[in-house]
Amino acid sequence: MIAKALLLTIIIPLFSGVIMFFLPEKLRRIKESLLVFSSLASLLLAIFLFQQKLTFTLPWISPGLELSFRLYQFSSFMLLATAFFGFFIALYSVVFMRGRNFLSQFYGYFLLAIAFSNGVFLSDNLLVLFFFWEAFLLLLFGMIAVGNKEAFKTATKAFIIVGITDLCMMLGIALTGHLSGTMAISRMNLPLNNGVTNLAFILLMIGAISKGGAMPFHSWIPDAATDAPLPFMSFVPAALEKLLGIYFLTRISLDMFQMTTKSGVSILLMTVGAITIILAVLMALIQKDYKRLLSYHAVSQVGYMILGIGTAVPAGIVGGLFHMINNALYKSGLFLSAGSVEKQVGTTNLEKLGGLAKKMPVTFTCFLITAVAISGVWPFNGFFSKELVYEGAIERGWIFYFIAVLGSFFTAASFLKLGHAAFLGKLSPENAKTKEACFSMLIPMIVIALVCLIFGVFNQLPLNHLIQPILGIRLAGHNFSGFPASIWMVVVTFAVLFLAVANHLFGVKIKGSGLHALDHIRYAPFMAKIYDLAEKRFFDPYNWGLGIVNIISRISLGIDKAVNWLSDGLSVWLANGLSLGIRRLHTGNYSIYLAWSLVGMLVIFGVLVIL
Amino acid sequence: MFLDLLSLILLVSAALWTVMTRSLLRSAIGLALTSAVLTVIMFKMEANLAAVFELSVCAGLIPVLFVSVVSLTQPYTHQEILERMKSMFARFRLLPVILIGVGLILVLLGPHSQVQLPLPESGENTRFILWHLRQLDLLGQVIILLGGVFGVAVLFKERKKSA
Amino acid sequence: MSALLILVPFFSVLILNLPLKGIRKLAFGGAICLSLLQMAAVFIPDAAFWKINPHAFGSIFSFELSADSLSKVILFCIGLVSFSALFATRQTLKDSAGRFNFINIILIAVAGMNGVALAQDIFSLYIYLEITAISSFILIAFNRDILGLEGAFKYILLSGVATVLMLAGIALFMLIAGSTSFAVIHAVLLNHNKDFLISLGIGLFIVALFIKSGLMPFHGWLPDAYTAAPAAASVLLAGVVTKIAGVYVLIRILVSVISFSPAIKSILLLVGALSAILAAIAALTQSDFKRMLSYSSISQVGYIILGVGSGSVLGIAGAALHIFNHAAFKSLLFLNSAAVECQLGSRDIEEMGGLAKQMPVTSLTSIIGSLSCAGIPPLAGFWSKLVIVIALWMAGFRAYAVIAVLGSILTLTYFLILQRKVFFGKPNAEFKDIKEAGFSLTFPALILAALIIGAGIFTPFILNRFILSFNSIFGG
Repeated sequence: MIAKALLLTIIIPLFSGVIMFFLPEKLRRIKESLLVFSSLASLLLAIFLFQQKLTFTLPWISPGLELSFRLYQFSSFMLLATAFFGFFIALYSVVFMRGRNFLSQFYGYFLLAIAFSNGVFLSDNLLVLFFFWEAFLLLLFGMIAVGNKEAFKTATKAFIIVGITDLCMMLGIALTGHLSGTMAISRMNLPLNNGVTNLAFILLMIGAISKGGAMPFHSWIPDAATDAPLPFMSFVPAALEKLLGIYFLTRISLDMFQMTTKSGVSILLMTVGAITIILAVLMALIQKDYKRLLSYHAVSQVGYMILGIGTAVPAGIVGGLFHMINNALYKSGLFLSAGSVEKQVGTTNLEKLGGLAKKMPVTFTCFLITAVAISGVWPFNGFFSKELVYEGAIERGWIFYFIAVLGSFFTAASFLKLGHAAFLGKLSPENAKTKEACFSMLIPMIVIALVCLIFGVFNQLPLNHLIQPILGIRLAGHNFSGFPASIWMVVVTFAVLFLAVANHLFGVKIKGSGLHALDHIRYAPFMAKIYDLAEKRFFDPYNWGLGIVNIISRISLGIDKAVNWLSDGLSVWLANGLSLGIRRLHTGNYSIYLAWSLVGMLVIFGVLVIL
Repeated sequence: MFLDLLSLILLVSAALWTVMTRSLLRSAIGLALTSAVLTVIMFKMEANLAAVFELSVCAGLIPVLFVSVVSLTQPYTHQEILERMKSMFARFRLLPVILIGVGLILVLLGPHSQVQLPLPESGENTRFILWHLRQLDLLGQVIILLGGVFGVAVLFKERKKSA
Repeated sequence: MSALLILVPFFSVLILNLPLKGIRKLAFGGAICLSLLQMAAVFIPDAAFWKINPHAFGSIFSFELSADSLSKVILFCIGLVSFSALFATRQTLKDSAGRFNFINIILIAVAGMNGVALAQDIFSLYIYLEITAISSFILIAFNRDILGLEGAFKYILLSGVATVLMLAGIALFMLIAGSTSFAVIHAVLLNHNKDFLISLGIGLFIVALFIKSGLMPFHGWLPDAYTAAPAAASVLLAGVVTKIAGVYVLIRILVSVISFSPAIKSILLLVGALSAILAAIAALTQSDFKRMLSYSSISQVGYIILGVGSGSVLGIAGAALHIFNHAAFKSLLFLNSAAVECQLGSRDIEEMGGLAKQMPVTSLTSIIGSLSCAGIPPLAGFWSKLVIVIALWMAGFRAYAVIAVLGSILTLTYFLILQRKVFFGKPNAEFKDIKEAGFSLTFPALILAALIIGAGIFTPFILNRFILSFNSIFGG
């Protein structure tokens, strides 16, 4: 009986999502209550199932492909996190989405997203997991597409990027299933000792980090930030996708494959993580839009998680996972604050914002908490998870640690700029009548900000009960809760934060405004050119891909024309020529016909005599 | 002996008539007569089966008539026909020589058969052969004659009318 | 009893020509009845009816005739095609006296073809081939126009060559075996294969039959003869006469007398492939409706010969099936050409266009016939081509199997060209007032089309039984 409750976690949001599509646009209240209550039901169910161990198997088409679900420590934690964000963001979007189009679609997709990510977290069969994974891709497309006019293009971009990486993942799944002889995740344990298993790992990894939004698969996220509805940004790229991607990355590197510090893929993961951290945060520095700036941080923060898990040492993995949940918290909190600003002011362009702290004090407070959390300020949650990641990174090499700390510096700098530009400084006259957001939009922000604080101050709570049990014996008796073990690293962190503040004050002094506080980096001699190119999307792999596709399509067109010419031109010409030639041979002269017969006869006699 | 001589003279004169006459109908009759006389001679020489076949082939040769009919549909004058024959003779005069040469070469140099040929058949009763062994052929020949009659009826008679 | 198949048409001709009043009017109905009876007779299951049965009628009419599955297929085709041809005479021949003669000659041809199908003696076979050939000459030249006479003349000439070669072959076989019966010659040939004389005899026979079937490069007479012949004669010739005179006799001689050797197989495959491809290519640019169909006939006979050349039971079964299918669709297409020619007075497909609206029945049936010829499932032609290709593949002649498939594509191509130019495309203003052809051309066309569809749909069910029955050919 209780095992079937597992299915409910998928079925409840699935059904209410499907029903949502068929509700007429006029029944707004009913739709809103359906959204809120079914996400509440999911939350309650997740709390009820928390920390339980259950399996549910339904024999299906063949023994290799069975509908098997498994609830254990990690997945129950992920279920709870999903339901938590689902409920609060649903509450938020009910207000935020008022007066917009495509409500049915957005709410329906929202609920289906909960259903499908629950499916991913519970699946114990790679094929079933992949089914939910792909279904989530469709939702991604749908949720972005209901945004503004440009959204369809962005949705296509996201669909293509994630679709291609999912294709890699599909190959990886096939290869993994072949190598391990089973599709059941809990029965896999492959050593990474040869090229084929490494290839399988990398293929699966591409799927995972692409879902997480790491470079070079990130480029749709900043576009979606401006085009898609905001609750989507807060829910999917900020929270759910990180949960899904990092969950799967953890599963493949901890359970399905035996990744150790000696594995080549560990270096690969750390490199991807480090590059993502630094490049994305550099892009975040120069953004002039609230949401777009946040979206680059959504990319950058994923780098920390990948770096942490990639270290393959307990501290790093614990740090990566802790950072995953922390990031989900403060990043969705930040997006929600952006949403409040957008809803109340009507824009998220930083040029037009400023001085909102007095008008929207609650929003500002929530923003402040989440911003210091993301910057890694003691005693907020981001500080503790980052310290753990640093600890893992320095065990593997000082360069990773250096990059991670540098990333922190820029993160702090860009949030100083954002906070300064949006909430401090001069209030523009147009925004003089701005009011605080309404209660049901504030509640989610407040709750999230509180959780950020709690996870920081009482970090034993999440670390001991949520995260460290996931590692099981790999933890090797360590306990990472409490204040960081290495004091000098904490000192470095504080120093970096101090430098960031100093840098900000320096920038403000030069340029005179918070918005332009980082312009000295933007227009530094060497950086300026690179930034110019980046703003022209020169570094967007999607654009490279489009260029390559363009070339390929031109080549294909050429080949197609050539084939057409062969089939429609040359072969017709040949056939007609041959046909006319044969026709011309038939002169009607019977002596010629007789001569043919004679030749034929001689040939036949020849064959008969020789053979 | 007298009968043999008579039939031989009849055969030769019938064959000559067939070739020399200008009338197609007479030529056809001459051909049939030649064939009939040849059959009689074969019977006399006790080659009964060969005789029966000769009769059959003769019936089969009726299509030759149609060849002539069709070839005469092109209105050539006597002079033209002579000229054509001359040119054809000029073109094909070497053909018999070549054919005989090739045949000789083949006989002298070509492969030789190892087949044990069966003995010639003993003289069976002609009536028996006709009615019991080749009955089907006889029927076939009758049908060919019937077909020939229709051919003449369709192609000759109406030709006169239209001409 | 099977002798009735020869005797009844023969006596019908005799009776019809008795000087009785009004008997000439019975000619058409009687001949139609005969063709229907022949088709029905094929389904008589009684073995005694078909086996060699001397002295059954007392001393007269005790022929050595026998029929196996192959003969029965052919006999059915003869009935079917003569039925169609007889109907075609009603509209294409206006003169009633001429029509009466025509029907008589068709009956003689049927008697001859039945004799060919039933003969068990190499010389009787020759005699009945000659009956068929003579009646064909007359049919081709029937209208006495210059083209018809030319076509008939070419046919006679090449057929005469074939006759000479065949007679020489018969003479050689008789020299070797001392008899003309299939069984005796077969036994003798088995004892000495690879002898020079035997090879010569086989070669003469095969070449003669290639000429009669009109295979490339022995086909010179065929397009002229088919094109020039009156419509009804074309139906009969293309549908069944050349298939009997050439292909059936070839199969019969190969199975019952000569038996397959690698050399014979390679000759058959070479000639079959050559005909199937070159004739199909030649058909591409023909502008005369009937001439295109003639080349298509050569190409399809090439197919049949490919099936035979595989040398397996399956291949021969496929060939027999294709003979039947060819009889159905080629008669149908020649009927369509007759309908078009009758209504338009022209055979030039370049002038036509958009006739589908004015002649819906003709257009529809011709599409069915064309598609069956091109081997489009589920029509009948698909199955026989499939069986042939499978037989070739299984016998190890993979290249020929591929050629056969390619030939099918070419077939489809020229039929699409034909359809586009005749029934679709831009209508010619000159033929604005054209109407559908009369009942006597559309009725047999509809029946044949229905037969093609029906045979196509039911082929999978009867195929197994059909092919199984072909095992007995080799046994007998």
